[in-house]
Amino acid sequence: MPASLAGLIPPVADYLRILPEILLAFFGIAVMMLEAVSRGKRTYLGVISLVGIAAAFVTNIPGLIAGPLIGPETAFHRMLVVDGFGIFFRAVIIGVGFLSTLASLSYLDREDSRAGGEFYSLILFSMVGQCIMVTADDLIMVFIGLEISSIATYVMAGFLRDDRRNNESALKYFLLGSFATAFLLYGTAWIFGLVGSTNLEDIRKWMPENQTAIISVAVALVFVGLAFKVSVAPFQMWAPDVYQGAPAPASGFMSAGPKAAAFAVFFRLFMTSFLPIHERWAWLMWGCALGTMFVGNLGALLQTNVKRLMGYSSIAHAGYVMVALTAASSIGVSAAMFYLVSYALMNIGAFAVIGYVASRHERFVRIEDLAGLGRREPATAALLSIFVFSLIGVPLTGGFFGKFYVFQAALNSHLVWLTILGLVNSAIAAYYYLRIIVAIYMREPDVATMQLEAPPFSLRLAMWVSAIGVLGLGLFPSALLQFATNSAATLR
Amino acid sequence: MNLWLIPFCPLIGFLLNGLLGKRFPKQLVNIIAVGSVAASFGLVLFSLSKIYPVDSVVTEHGFTWIQSGMLKIGFDLTVDRLTAVMLLVVTGVGLLIHTYSIGYMEHEEGYARFFAYLNLFMFFMLLLVLASNLLLLFVGWEGVGLCSYLLVGFYFKEKFAGDAANKAFIVNRIGDFGFMLGIFLLVARFRTLDFGAIAAAVKGVPIETSLGGLGVITLLLFMGACGKSAQLPLYVWLPDAMAGPTPVSALIHAATMVTAGVYMVARMSFLYDHAPAAMHVVAVVGLLTAVFAATIGLAQNDIKKVFAYSTVSQLGYMFLGVGLGAYSAGIFHLMTHAFFKALLFLGAGSVIHGLSGEQDLRHMGGLRKVMPVTFYTLGIASLSISGFPFFAGFFSKDAILSAAYESAPWMFWTGAVTAGVTAFYVFRAFFLTFFGKYRGHHHPHESPLVMTFPLMVLAAFSLGGGFLSVPHWLAPLFPVAEHEAMQPMIISASFGIAGILLATLIYVVQPSLSDSLKSAAGPIYTLLVNKYYVDELYSATIVRPLNAISRTVLWRGVDEGLIDTGLVNGLGSAIQSVGSVLRRWQSGSIRNYATWILAGSLLLIFVLGLATQGAR
Amino acid sequence: MDSILAAILSANYLAITLLIPLAGFFVVTAAPRRSRLPFFYALISSLAAFVAALRLIPPVLAHAANFTSEIDSPWVEGLKIRLHMGVDGISLWLILLTTLLVPMAVWATEKMVKERRKSFFAMLMLFEFGLIGVFSALDMFVFYVFWEIALVPMYLLVGGWGGPNRFKVSVKFFVYTMAGSVLMLGSVLYLHTLTGSFDYPEILKAVSSGQTSLSSRDQMLIFVGLLAAFAVKAPVFPLHTWLPNTYAEAPMPATFLLAAVMSKMGTYGLLRYAIALAPSAAHRLAPWIAVCAIIGIVYGALLALVQTNIKRLLAYSSFSHVGVIVLGIFAFDQQGADGAVYQMLAHGISTGALFLLVGYLESRRHSLEIADFGGIAGLAPRLAAVFSIALFASVGLPTLCNFVGEFLLLQGAALANFNWAIWAALGVILSASYMLWMYQRVFLGKLNVAIEHFQDLQWRDWVPIVPLLLLMVWLGCYTQSFMPSISMATSQLLDSTNMNNQYRVKLDAAGGGVNAINAVAEVLHAR
Repeated sequence: MPASLAGLIPPVADYLRILPEILLAFFGIAVMMLEAVSRGKRTYLGVISLVGIAAAFVTNIPGLIAGPLIGPETAFHRMLVVDGFGIFFRAVIIGVGFLSTLASLSYLDREDSRAGGEFYSLILFSMVGQCIMVTADDLIMVFIGLEISSIATYVMAGFLRDDRRNNESALKYFLLGSFATAFLLYGTAWIFGLVGSTNLEDIRKWMPENQTAIISVAVALVFVGLAFKVSVAPFQMWAPDVYQGAPAPASGFMSAGPKAAAFAVFFRLFMTSFLPIHERWAWLMWGCALGTMFVGNLGALLQTNVKRLMGYSSIAHAGYVMVALTAASSIGVSAAMFYLVSYALMNIGAFAVIGYVASRHERFVRIEDLAGLGRREPATAALLSIFVFSLIGVPLTGGFFGKFYVFQAALNSHLVWLTILGLVNSAIAAYYYLRIIVAIYMREPDVATMQLEAPPFSLRLAMWVSAIGVLGLGLFPSALLQFATNSAATLR
Repeated sequence: MNLWLIPFCPLIGFLLNGLLGKRFPKQLVNIIAVGSVAASFGLVLFSLSKIYPVDSVVTEHGFTWIQSGMLKIGFDLTVDRLTAVMLLVVTGVGLLIHTYSIGYMEHEEGYARFFAYLNLFMFFMLLLVLASNLLLLFVGWEGVGLCSYLLVGFYFKEKFAGDAANKAFIVNRIGDFGFMLGIFLLVARFRTLDFGAIAAAVKGVPIETSLGGLGVITLLLFMGACGKSAQLPLYVWLPDAMAGPTPVSALIHAATMVTAGVYMVARMSFLYDHAPAAMHVVAVVGLLTAVFAATIGLAQNDIKKVFAYSTVSQLGYMFLGVGLGAYSAGIFHLMTHAFFKALLFLGAGSVIHGLSGEQDLRHMGGLRKVMPVTFYTLGIASLSISGFPFFAGFFSKDAILSAAYESAPWMFWTGAVTAGVTAFYVFRAFFLTFFGKYRGHHHPHESPLVMTFPLMVLAAFSLGGGFLSVPHWLAPLFPVAEHEAMQPMIISASFGIAGILLATLIYVVQPSLSDSLKSAAGPIYTLLVNKYYVDELYSATIVRPLNAISRTVLWRGVDEGLIDTGLVNGLGSAIQSVGSVLRRWQSGSIRNYATWILAGSLLLIFVLGLATQGAR
Repeated sequence: MDSILAAILSANYLAITLLIPLAGFFVVTAAPRRSRLPFFYALISSLAAFVAALRLIPPVLAHAANFTSEIDSPWVEGLKIRLHMGVDGISLWLILLTTLLVPMAVWATEKMVKERRKSFFAMLMLFEFGLIGVFSALDMFVFYVFWEIALVPMYLLVGGWGGPNRFKVSVKFFVYTMAGSVLMLGSVLYLHTLTGSFDYPEILKAVSSGQTSLSSRDQMLIFVGLLAAFAVKAPVFPLHTWLPNTYAEAPMPATFLLAAVMSKMGTYGLLRYAIALAPSAAHRLAPWIAVCAIIGIVYGALLALVQTNIKRLLAYSSFSHVGVIVLGIFAFDQQGADGAVYQMLAHGISTGALFLLVGYLESRRHSLEIADFGGIAGLAPRLAAVFSIALFASVGLPTLCNFVGEFLLLQGAALANFNWAIWAALGVILSASYMLWMYQRVFLGKLNVAIEHFQDLQWRDWVPIVPLLLLMVWLGCYTQSFMPSISMATSQLLDSTNMNNQYRVKLDAAGGGVNAINAVAEVLHAR
């Protein structure tokens, strides 16, 4: 055969680099197949997918260890770039997937949904998409990854077919999501028109010499597409509704995995390709960061539904990460990476507890329904309060260090006022998070907590792991911080 | 020699009786209480005899009490001739009154508590006298105030006792406010509070012609004295303080504590000498107080109240003396006053005791047969205070008035007239008590020896105390101008005698006169009976407004209304209202959301594009 | 962290003092719920912490000017955050105060708290851990961390065991304090970006030696941020409105600790960090802060005058007293600083005693409305006597603890600006008034008809009170056991701020001027 053709066939190394994705996809398909043929409880499918995720994680490890060392190693004709940054986020995504699956085991057989297995395979697929996003070196790949991940999550949001709230949530997410993705695609088209390539490296090279005003329009379009995914104001409106409607584990997963992936793309694009025109979009970031923090925190103040409250809180936290992005420095990148990890842990944990207390068909999702949890289930209550205090940003929790790094990065980039306002925000946030604490510790048990029985092992495991992670990051942050810094360094 | 033992004997007495007194038998309590004071009296005599004649100042350094930066305050005690006088008066009179109290308090509950307080008072008073720096003096100063509070409020179940006690403490605090400020300024100026050091430092300073730094300092200190020694305008607490048991009135509110102000001024004479303006103020305030209180004394019917106002008035004399620079005269009068005023109170106490608690002159009378000892001793005391020739009061008052005669005649004349008034109301009380026929309904009886013996001793001193010439003893400290002018002596004495005669006429010879006099005086009389309405004035202008404003304006208005509800919660609710707006923004309808997304992105594109037009 | 173990093995008593309460927290949490074990564990560990804290004294007395029994181990390499802690003449006494009062709180809890004692004890332990950390931290970051650690358990105590409207009050308390402390975090971060360090002594050296000069704008930003946190905590007028409600709603042992030690966090922070790190800003704002402090003194006293609830009255009085401390700190002279530290200690003891006694009243009468009392001195003479001693201590009667502190504070203020002293001294009059009126209405007069019997102090009530009474007298009479070490540390701090020599003292009335620098000089010679 002609050599040119031979050149088209990617070398084996490329496949090895994306081994985690392959494994995840494989297990996803396998689980779906088995689902079709299996009767009765589907828990074992969950276990299988856990195995798959574990396997994926293991295959990711060499990259992790070598991670900081290997520079941008492009694969598949510069479609993917498996660098430390990507590997780091791949690890995050896999971890998120693992915990979410763990948390959803008991949830699903409590809701005895007929097709429980599909849920696991959906998680796996969306993980594949996210992994592609974080390693994409080409806007097209970004788009593909985004779509894979999103479509899976749309379905997850509406997983319990005969639950009205699920349907509404899924529909909203789907329509608005595809609407936003259109912007991304449109922006990609503009860039291709201008640059003649969608490869990030090419864009990066192209940027400095010929900057036209048009490019900033393209950037704006891309920005919108991504901003929607990470629920940054003014594109955050879907988040509360969707988080409220979707099944608790799905909400937990959505608030952690896809968000992390989308932010990864954000950073990859704006810290590399669009960095040359930094001064153009800096103030845009500034405004969006501030707006997002305020919208999230103020909106949450008066919520009575815990899941909705968490929806707003996820907006607010997106705002904090945006602050790091506004800093537009390598410190900012590593800060954001750290932040996303700790945020993923505490959010999944919180949603796990919420889903547990909500009990069958999520009857109890008001804040009052947590009343007296401290009496009925001291351990679970303690874990929840750890997550909440971490969300507030009380020291010795991951949440605190996350905020700390982010604002330090901001100050290093002389964003004094953004920092001050952000800090004020975290004080405001304390108000609504404390309502959860008040409920669980200061009110007498109520119907919701009276009928609770001890959480099943898998759920407890998920909660404990997240809690230990949160505290671990709070006590010994340096390891992860170091790692994040090194990984961020590979982003160029 | 160990000066510190002198105050600490009573302190030990206090600790024993205070902690264990409840379990002790009365005898033991007496032994401890009286014994401890006797011990310190003995120690005083002993140590004075060792350093007699006290020509040099003896200072004993204890431990460092407070040290901060340049300010170093030691627990140092010092004795000079002035201290010697005070020590003798305090321990001597104190001892007598302790003895007397054994009899007087016999039937009261809280017997041990009473003596514990009394001992504690002795401790602080002696500390005050012995202190060698102003802050240590202030410790004693506040301490005696505390004891006065405790003892005035001794009958704590009675509301008036509690009120009187609070009044005493708080009014004194107002004085101490000035005293503290004075101390601060002294430190700021001299970096020390030791009397010796300040005296040395101030030597070089020229005498202030107008009111200067030293003037301010001395006036602030005098403000403290006004509180402690019941001068205008802070005298109001003393009459009420009579709510305490009579021995207390005798010891604290006549003989010792209330004279602390005079002692302080004499002690700080080196400062006052440099501030003539302040001196003048002191003298004037003293004189006014003397007149003011004396006139009130005319119309009181409670025997203790009469003597209380006379105390205020006599203290006024003392301040007149020290204010005129005649420190020795002031101290002299302080001593004689301690004798005869203590005697007056103890006598009154004996009468009250005999009438089982009756204090109203209108329910007494004709007691001279029933209680002869009390009669005679009280008589001597009355003569003494009236400045009857060759009684103790005669000499001391003369010393002051002749000083006035030298410097400011108008002061002299006012003082002399006041002496007459004093004589009149004292003898009014005396006659109403012992002459005429008995108007009460108890069964009067003479007091036991344990009470009458101190009376006799004090009577002896009130009689002959004038011959212990304090001015000469103090001459090394306060050089006395040798004035041998006889007129002032004669004039004041004659005024006194006139007063006595007038009283005799009205209350013995022609009792009906008194009522017609009252009706004749009419409004003036009611004014005097109501003590010029000063208490009412204070409560109307200060106490009530302060409470009302604090409650309505500050608490409800500013604190809860403005700051908390207005600002703090206001901010909170403002934030929340923004939140509710955002909540309504979330309509939940997809079309609406999509529109927002579109609008938002158009905005971004437009603005970003516009903003970067400049960039080629 | 491992080097902490090393520190313990090398018998670093600060590490031990710090870790005992933490261990106590875990032990108590592990203890069975329905037993008295939690009580014993809490009591033992808090007492052990106190004993360990006593061992901190000798090194400090040896050289109080610099930090002793230091812990210094890396924590977060990435940010050069070190677990740096140490004790000097300022922090030592506050640590001792804390470790002394917490066992008393534990002891009192046994009687005053009815339900869920176990968690209560656990929170007390955590609180103690946080406080010791706050007072001994030498790394700004670590300081902030402990600052928040101390806040959370107190919040849970107020919210979990407080009175009827504890929810509102506790949340207000938390958010209010949080709002202050996040701004402090901002300052800490900003300081780090400017100096590249979190280490307090390092920064202090750099700033005072002038090798890193902070622009006046930077100083102002830093100072204001720190001030926000400390002024809320102390509190300084007008940031005090969380206090009366919180004190009134909190369960007694919590109020006891709030008033006695937690308020000191603010004043300590002002002295140690605010004026030390941003001297010129502090100097610029001093007049304003002084005015706020003075308003607080008089205003708090006036409000105390008209309270109908004993606890609220004491709350306002405590607020008023703290004002004096703040005033003294911003006098920038030896007397002021010494007085501030001394008064923190004295006020902790006297106010603590008062709140403890109020706790006794409440547990007997189940009310704290003054109207519900009256004439109980007849039934409970010992209680009345002890209360009066604590009362006179708090109104600053000589020979009792507060006098020394207040005298030095006011003296310091007078040296700085005599008018300050005039206004501040008004508080002295007022404090006597409201205290005595309260005392009269509660203890004196005819017995309130509603009361048929009123239990006097029992042995278990005496246990915590007696040491406090002894300390009142000790602090009042023999200050030399405490003062030298304090003066050493404060003079060090004052001249490290380069504040004294700039600070010309004006004396309006007395004319003569005192320059506080030679005050410092003299104290150093005096040693």
